[in-house]
Amino acid sequence: MTNEPHSEFSSVGKSLARPDVAAKATGAARFSADIALPGMLIGRILTSPHAHARIVAIDTSRAKALPGVAAVITHADVPKRGFTRSVMAEGLPPFAYETENLDQYILSDKARYIGDWVAAVAAVDLYVAERALDLIEVEYEVLPAVFDPEDALAPGAPVVHKGWKDNVAGVIEHPFNRGDLDAALASSAHVAEFSGRNSRQKQAHMEPDAAIASWDDKGRLTVWSPSQNAHLAKKAMGRRVFDIGEGNVRWITPAVGGGFGARLSFGVEPVAAMLAKVTGRPVKVLVTREEDFNGWNSRTEQRQTIRVGVGEAGEITAIEQDVLSDSGAYFSHSGTISAVNMQSTLGVMRSPVVRGKALMVYTNNPTASGMRGYGNPEGSFILQQALDIAAEKCGMDPVDFRLKNARGPGEPSMWEPQAITTCALPECIRRGAVAIGWDQKWHGWGAGKEGRYRRGVGMSIMTHASGAGGFLLEHSTAVMKLDEDGTASLSVSPCEMGQGILGVLAQIAAEGAGLRYEDVRTVTGDTDVTLFDIGTHASRSTYAIGNAALDAARKVKAIVVERAARMLGVESEGLDVRDGRVFAVADSSVGVSVAEVAHAGIYEYGTDARHIMATGKHQSVMHCPNFQAGFAEIEVDVETGVIKVLKLVIAHDIGRAINPLTVEGCLEGGAAQGLGYALTEDLVIDKGTGKVVSDSFATYKMLSALDMPEVEVILVEEPDPTGPFGAKGVGETGITNVAPAIANALYDAAGVRVHSLPITPEKVLEALRAHGAGA
Amino acid sequence: MAKEIATFIVNGQGYEVIVEPHMLLIDVLRDSIGLVGTKYGCGAGDCGACTVLLEGKPVFACLTLAVTARDRSLTTIEGLADGAGLHPIQQAFVDAGAVQCGFCTPGMVLTTKALLDENPEPTRGEIKAFLAGNLCRCTGYVKIVEAVESAAGILRNGGAR
Ligand code: FES
Ligand code: FES
Repeated sequence: MTNEPHSEFSSVGKSLARPDVAAKATGAARFSADIALPGMLIGRILTSPHAHARIVAIDTSRAKALPGVAAVITHADVPKRGFTRSVMAEGLPPFAYETENLDQYILSDKARYIGDWVAAVAAVDLYVAERALDLIEVEYEVLPAVFDPEDALAPGAPVVHKGWKDNVAGVIEHPFNRGDLDAALASSAHVAEFSGRNSRQKQAHMEPDAAIASWDDKGRLTVWSPSQNAHLAKKAMGRRVFDIGEGNVRWITPAVGGGFGARLSFGVEPVAAMLAKVTGRPVKVLVTREEDFNGWNSRTEQRQTIRVGVGEAGEITAIEQDVLSDSGAYFSHSGTISAVNMQSTLGVMRSPVVRGKALMVYTNNPTASGMRGYGNPEGSFILQQALDIAAEKCGMDPVDFRLKNARGPGEPSMWEPQAITTCALPECIRRGAVAIGWDQKWHGWGAGKEGRYRRGVGMSIMTHASGAGGFLLEHSTAVMKLDEDGTASLSVSPCEMGQGILGVLAQIAAEGAGLRYEDVRTVTGDTDVTLFDIGTHASRSTYAIGNAALDAARKVKAIVVERAARMLGVESEGLDVRDGRVFAVADSSVGVSVAEVAHAGIYEYGTDARHIMATGKHQSVMHCPNFQAGFAEIEVDVETGVIKVLKLVIAHDIGRAINPLTVEGCLEGGAAQGLGYALTEDLVIDKGTGKVVSDSFATYKMLSALDMPEVEVILVEEPDPTGPFGAKGVGETGITNVAPAIANALYDAAGVRVHSLPITPEKVLEALRAHGAGA
Repeated sequence: MAKEIATFIVNGQGYEVIVEPHMLLIDVLRDSIGLVGTKYGCGAGDCGACTVLLEGKPVFACLTLAVTARDRSLTTIEGLADGAGLHPIQQAFVDAGAVQCGFCTPGMVLTTKALLDENPEPTRGEIKAFLAGNLCRCTGYVKIVEAVESAAGILRNGGAR
């Protein structure tokens, strides 16, 4: 099944055009904010100007009196039901869900960060809604606030959540800790240590949040919003936010303008639902870009220390990771992001002794969450520099050091004790090294470079899950049915947020059923139509939903073959189906089209009628880890501290590229985000007030077309027996290796390390000055 | 606040709309006329998602007061293609894999149109510079730049591929 050469496939392995992109190029695609329902109102949210304040009183009378205003709501109008913004948390096993803090309300009587939600209005249009916000009068009692997680742990620090004794939001011991760390480090030949922190990177999906909610006359709620996991959002809305039951919620996901993890959380849907309930009309809540920057989603800032022990022969003897995580004002993804950081960071290298611990702390900063990579880019920035330090202490080439110590097939995967099935990491490292010119450009440790402009190369490796098996609930179901003309609908529930999953699943299903790609329609985006699925995250959709689609497709094919055999009067064993035609393998002139079989099944006037369809399922406690090596070549100007990236190489263990063009695009886009994370992107928060300073694209610097260096993507295909046609996940991975590879290249070029992201020219100059090698 | 009736000529078609002086072109296009292909990404002129062509030149609809665009020719993404098919620039974006989530795409495509109208044979550097005001969070721009190069070649060839 998995080792056929590409030429045996009709759809798989080909860069076929995605079904959804033409409509996106013509403006015909409908995103949530583009949808208008009859009688619909526009909702807007009033946010707090204070980082920590008790709401003493709210006077809504002037706002309510404004013509065109249908409702103004405050904390007094919402259910007193706590929930977490992380709808992904619904997939946690019960014992883990219990450690999630249900600290969020639709609207609260206390503001915990600048931008926290205080009140909301629904009005006939955006302009009236805006005017109404200005007319709401709020009396605040401003409270002392805390903006640094270390300060928040100090005795006497302001406590962010009422009724809590301190700001410790949670503690996680890595579940796979083992061995005697102190003894192992004491007996190691060398110990490498690196400490640092990552920035609060914004997901910055280009489509701002928007949500529409509408209740019908029977009390059933329909929501339209860009959710990455609609079925879990449906549950959270029906069971946590309101107490109406999952069956009373229908979730529709229109076109989604990027997710990158932000849409694993509730956006404004609960407010839209509340406003719609109060007004009895559909309400669309809109969010400005500035509010998004001041809001409830960013990569979590984590301060970490990693120590790596190494033996005489360069073998790793122990790894320790210590994580301090700034949750911001609400818990959201704090627990899961910290757990996944340790799994992926501690799960890539072989080590007999492992210890990881994470502490999550509340502050009055905006709520953090999970972004693409989900802990992996956070941990890898620290680990991969610690590994280079260890390699230097052993006098080993970073390439050789990683080849020697990385886990491989049969060894435990990042979520132990599952074993790694396939691992093309060595091949990724070798091909990536050739592409960057490692042997020509890396001249050994302390290769004393001179001059103003100094070049260097660096590398990084990672492992990431292809699905959440072992950690979260992990299953998907696909339904495939054949219409009378031999075309098929494949009903599945990924979130198409730009990655091209609709086309990929159609390619898998077409190949599995023997249909033409253009004859398979992927149907998604409506929980009333699709079966339960945990959604799109954990780089899982191609692997997990792909497996479900392939299972359904193969069952459809079997039914087609069986009925065709009867129509042709031959044995079914000798038949195959390809490109929409059933044929005898021994004599391909004997055959019948799938359309005829499908039509005959429905228009059957005897007793054997059948609308040909099948359901397929994927469920696994395994997550099929994928691997990747990243390389960077940079040039640093030691007089200005400016780093110019000359080239990035990403070599990914893809198993099988179902659609090479979309995989490349995914890795290139990830690399661009990784480059921003490495060098420019930072949600800067004023340490005195808690105000986000970089709350626009003018101040939060994402890369433009002008800033992109050459990116070379290498797809290493070693089909995994558990993936659809051998495919593994890729979605999140392009981002992870970039920052550590650049950081290691900086050390190669200039002999300095920067301990926090982004690596700005100021930080480089400071490091050079401290090193005594500056201009 | 004086309301008045203004005429907008969008994609060759006239529309009469009640406008107030402070209303923005993006809201008139999206809410009054119902052409929602023009996207709101930032409202501040920083992202280019709202780009439309005003007499052939790219402008940010989020910063343009609606009244300043009345009686002048506007092109939105809905008006680029002739008939039901794709414009060669749109086709090039599709073929190159330059569309991921598609939210930046209307602005990217219209900015490309303005570039190629003014410079039919741009260098890679000229393409990147012209597109620098249009942010894309998904693609890393690699395939967008390729799409623009390929569209330029196709258009120079009279639209044939
Ligand atoms: S929405 Fe107009 S430039 Fe961003
Ligand atoms: S394709 Fe998503 S922002 Fe450009």
